[in-house]
Amino acid sequence: MNKRKVTLAAAAAGVLTGAAGISLLAMPAGAGQPPSLPDIAPEKLVEQVLTSKPGAFGGTVEVDNKLGLPAIGEIPQLADGKHSARIWTDGNGKLRLALPNGQSEQTIVDDGSTTWSWNSQNNEVTKSEHKADKEVKPENEQKAIDPATAAKEIVNQTKEFSDISVDGTARVANRAAYELVLTPKASEKTLIREVRIAVDSELKMPLRVAVLTNGTAEPAGTVGFSQINVGPQDSKLFEFTPPANAKVTTPEAKEQKQRHEPELGLEQALNGKDPQIFGTGWDSVVGAKIPAEAMTHVPAEAQGLVDRFTKKVSGSWGSGKLFTTKVATILIADDGRVVAGAVPEQVLFDTIGQVK
Amino acid sequence: MITRQFGSEVRWMLRRPRTLIGLFGLILVPIIISFGIWSAGEGDGGPGLGAILNGNGMVVPIFTLFLSLNLLLPLVASIWAADGLAGEAQHGTLRGLLVAPVSRVRLLFVKLFGLTAMSLFAVTLMAVVGIIAGTAFLGTNGMMTLSGTTLSTAEGFLRIAFFILLVTFQMVAIGAVALAVSSTTEHPLVVQAATMTTIIVFQVLGQFPSLDWLHPFLITTGFPGLIDVMRDPIPLGQIWDSTLLAGCYMLIGTGLAAMRLITKDS
Repeated sequence: MNKRKVTLAAAAAGVLTGAAGISLLAMPAGAGQPPSLPDIAPEKLVEQVLTSKPGAFGGTVEVDNKLGLPAIGEIPQLADGKHSARIWTDGNGKLRLALPNGQSEQTIVDDGSTTWSWNSQNNEVTKSEHKADKEVKPENEQKAIDPATAAKEIVNQTKEFSDISVDGTARVANRAAYELVLTPKASEKTLIREVRIAVDSELKMPLRVAVLTNGTAEPAGTVGFSQINVGPQDSKLFEFTPPANAKVTTPEAKEQKQRHEPELGLEQALNGKDPQIFGTGWDSVVGAKIPAEAMTHVPAEAQGLVDRFTKKVSGSWGSGKLFTTKVATILIADDGRVVAGAVPEQVLFDTIGQVK
Repeated sequence: MITRQFGSEVRWMLRRPRTLIGLFGLILVPIIISFGIWSAGEGDGGPGLGAILNGNGMVVPIFTLFLSLNLLLPLVASIWAADGLAGEAQHGTLRGLLVAPVSRVRLLFVKLFGLTAMSLFAVTLMAVVGIIAGTAFLGTNGMMTLSGTTLSTAEGFLRIAFFILLVTFQMVAIGAVALAVSSTTEHPLVVQAATMTTIIVFQVLGQFPSLDWLHPFLITTGFPGLIDVMRDPIPLGQIWDSTLLAGCYMLIGTGLAAMRLITKDS
């Protein structure tokens, strides 16, 4: 009889353990106790970030995006929500990126001389040899996703327009980090309240970047490592051999094929007609003029897409469409002038007259 | 002693005609999939794993198991769990087992062992048929992963073996919960209906973004992450989470079944 009670208790304990386990799994991983680190002057930290060379590492980057961007087929990683990517680098320019998208995956490998981009959805490999003078496209994607490069750029550009401080410490991907905070100076007319960068206390490499906007407590966007291992990586990761039955194309051939796609026309127009920059610092505005023929050649479906995500505005400068996200505003005038910046819409209305 | 009971339980399960019919049905799945992809020919195979199946027969077993895990394999596990206790109760044979001088906990472990052995057998059978059918219909050249790398045949077999274990574990977890239901009723159909309803309801709940707080509690949430086996190198995070979640379900199911069996009047 007693034995029966013991077994019953053991079985009940098993049930409770299982239930507790599920609840533990369901809870988001806690940030943990912030580590105690020696004080450091913010300017010194910035300097160290700018001079540090992140060596070889491999890790998982989580992107938490609440910017309010519409989902674009080509880059699903930009849509709102959580996305993760895996990144490996040898510290000397060789790089591997794995971008899972549902049950598919996009892999980008830079072996030092060639950039390979593989997409499991259409079994296609894009191969681009590095050119000496021109930047290859995947490096833009790399900047967007690699916190190291992203933060350095931000620090560089904003030093003279921002207050820089160190606001405590944090634990990111199980590494001790300083929280470096950039706050736009009061004179800056920007949507951004502050940018928080968690800097690894040892490597002085940014581990996490969070952008906070006016009027919200939660960051509008966070890019950061959820897991990182620092040290030499398997050299096989930086090689890529296209699978036996994959289509291998070059970016030039691909561009030709995609010329008819609507979003690309706008993108090309924005990239192509060398953009003009107005103002300095956080409230600088980029302007461009889309050629009239590109404006009239927008297909109906693209027009529908534009109409769905924009609102019609008009003023002394003319009339156009306004596209708003939490961190940036874009104004497209009906005559083809385009201005964009991390600023409230009024700044764009004031600036658009200067676009030539 | 216990090994003899294990052996007789599995023999007993294999002797049931419906087990054999079920196993035959399971091996048809990879054959139909291979044939379908082969006859569809070149072109986009669809999203996810389907897209890389062409000329890549070694992926067929993984694709088959991944698809079957959503409905077919839970159904099979629930049938075995239903036969194990409710079926025996219906035939009046459970009474004999309960009054026999055998510990009831041991009886439960014999049933769990039978469930595990048969699940492993069924999943392995599907995988082996998948490898053969996939290679025959689609050809093979090592195993191409979702990351675009090509693994050697040996590495491919390792991945398949790893996936067999992962899928079996999920199946046994579902079966353990079904065993708990099975211990409360004399009607095997009730067990199957209850298990399948739960699995389907879980999957429907998983579709609603507004219920995302609930998703980590559902065993079905862990299924899609198992596809990471086909990425290279394998990210273990999601696989580990899914397996832990299934382990918790297994603990709960086994515990509840044990509590019920111990307190059951013979």
